[in-house]
Amino acid sequence: MKLRPILGYTAAGATIFAAVLTPFVLMGYFANGVAALPLHVDEVYSGGPKARTIQMGAYSIDVHRPVHPHFLQSEKPFVELEWTPVSALPRHVSDMVDIDGDGQPDICVSFDVPNDPKAPLRVDVEPLNPHYQAMHSVGKEKFSRLIVRVDNAILVRVPLVNP
Amino acid sequence: MATNAQSPRLARPEPRGIGWSLLLTLPIAVWALLMLFRPGMDTDPKSRIAAALTALFMTALFFMMMRTGNTYRWRRLFFVSVGVLFPVGFIYNIVSVRGTMGIPVEEMIAGRTPFCFMPIPLLILPAALTRKLVFPGSIGPGGGASGAGMAAMVGIWLAMTLVLGKGWCSYACFFGGIEEGVAAIPARAKIRKIDPRWRHGPWAVLLAMVLLSLALFEPAYCMWLCPFKAVSEYIAARNLIGLFQNAIFVLLFAGLVIVLPFLTKKRTQCSFFCPFGAFQSIFNKISAFEVKIDKERCKPCVLCQNACPNMSLTRESIARGETLMSCMKCGACVDACPRQAVVWHIKGTEIAWKPERARLMFLYAAWAMAIMFGGTIIYGGVATILHFIA
Repeated sequence: MKLRPILGYTAAGATIFAAVLTPFVLMGYFANGVAALPLHVDEVYSGGPKARTIQMGAYSIDVHRPVHPHFLQSEKPFVELEWTPVSALPRHVSDMVDIDGDGQPDICVSFDVPNDPKAPLRVDVEPLNPHYQAMHSVGKEKFSRLIVRVDNAILVRVPLVNP
Repeated sequence: MATNAQSPRLARPEPRGIGWSLLLTLPIAVWALLMLFRPGMDTDPKSRIAAALTALFMTALFFMMMRTGNTYRWRRLFFVSVGVLFPVGFIYNIVSVRGTMGIPVEEMIAGRTPFCFMPIPLLILPAALTRKLVFPGSIGPGGGASGAGMAAMVGIWLAMTLVLGKGWCSYACFFGGIEEGVAAIPARAKIRKIDPRWRHGPWAVLLAMVLLSLALFEPAYCMWLCPFKAVSEYIAARNLIGLFQNAIFVLLFAGLVIVLPFLTKKRTQCSFFCPFGAFQSIFNKISAFEVKIDKERCKPCVLCQNACPNMSLTRESIARGETLMSCMKCGACVDACPRQAVVWHIKGTEIAWKPERARLMFLYAAWAMAIMFGGTIIYGGVATILHFIA
């Protein structure tokens, strides 16, 4: 028997062996390999890493790092703020937030917190710093301009003024 | 096994005896029980019944493949079942979890958008250049209605691609079964002459979507062109653009998955449009199994070409004794050839040398994968239906 057929049958046998191994070993091996790669979900979706936390008594505001979209991505640069936990928020929130940590408030954010977790949210943002855009009664317009409730947090994304 | 008197090594097996067929089916029956009653599966009576029915169904189909020597007809029954039952189980699941078929922005931001295999080729360039995944899901567990993340789906795809190559499109894809079912309905094709240049469609869509995904930094195919959004989950239409996107999904589904398969008896979405199918064709090169044509036996009657559901045979390729790289290993051409000139083949061996052995080896690997992946989908759909009946 020549070498090529031997290699062919070896590959065919290995294929059946791989099929048997797939649910027990291979699938998990490949999945763990992919999970270990230095990859992360684009920040336009995830909101970017947390920069710092501002304590507001019973609740806190997480300030995330500004997110800058890529190439032709149809979003504006934005910064995400996260009010948590929702259960500790008053019926109406109106907070001055120091985003850049310089000790001066940058924006004033106000929104109502309905009891129904599925009720639509609306937010007003008044910029006190020209780097941030105003928002008036904004709901879920774009990834870079919205207010949503995710689990036990209320997220507000404020667009930055283009430099 | 009975053989052809003219050329024993080329003979197609006569229908096997029941005993032999049962013996050959035994490993698959054990595998089906192992996969469908594995730890972690639901243990309530309805789920147990669904698992038993699925195991019986998958085992019976394999038995018929062994008994009759015919592959395509029985594989099609499995594949259509997956295509029909996937939306049943999936839609029930996401509606139970989030109350709607639309993907809310909240779920995207939370990284809970279910990840299917379609965007895999679209993620490669952005990930390679920026280390970012342009999909609103989770890499690890916790993403999607199933709780599995992107890494799990990519892991399943990699392992199954190693085994099946482009056979993924005949034994694993949970979308193609709908159009294959529709294509099986009419007795004859109304449209028979199809310009062969349409065959390049999937490559064109793949190239366009890969470049667009990199430029727009979003899974462009999922956002704009996936026909199967119509039967899985759609983009919640918050504005005119959302409405426009959903209209495209529905129109593509109606045209490519319902109307054209009915008129042509071909899998038109797979043949002319699917970018993942084009991407998967590349992996046919690493598969040990292929379909070949014995040029000595072939009298070019083009029955195989007509039978091929995704136009992977041309007169030129038949003359060369091979299929095109888009061959999905469904077995339609092998079963259609009256001279047994189209055969299953293991690379490196002489053409038509023990083709039934090559078929058996491929089917054991492919059916094991079909039970593990498609069988679980059938089980989910049947369990959902039983839930509603009860």
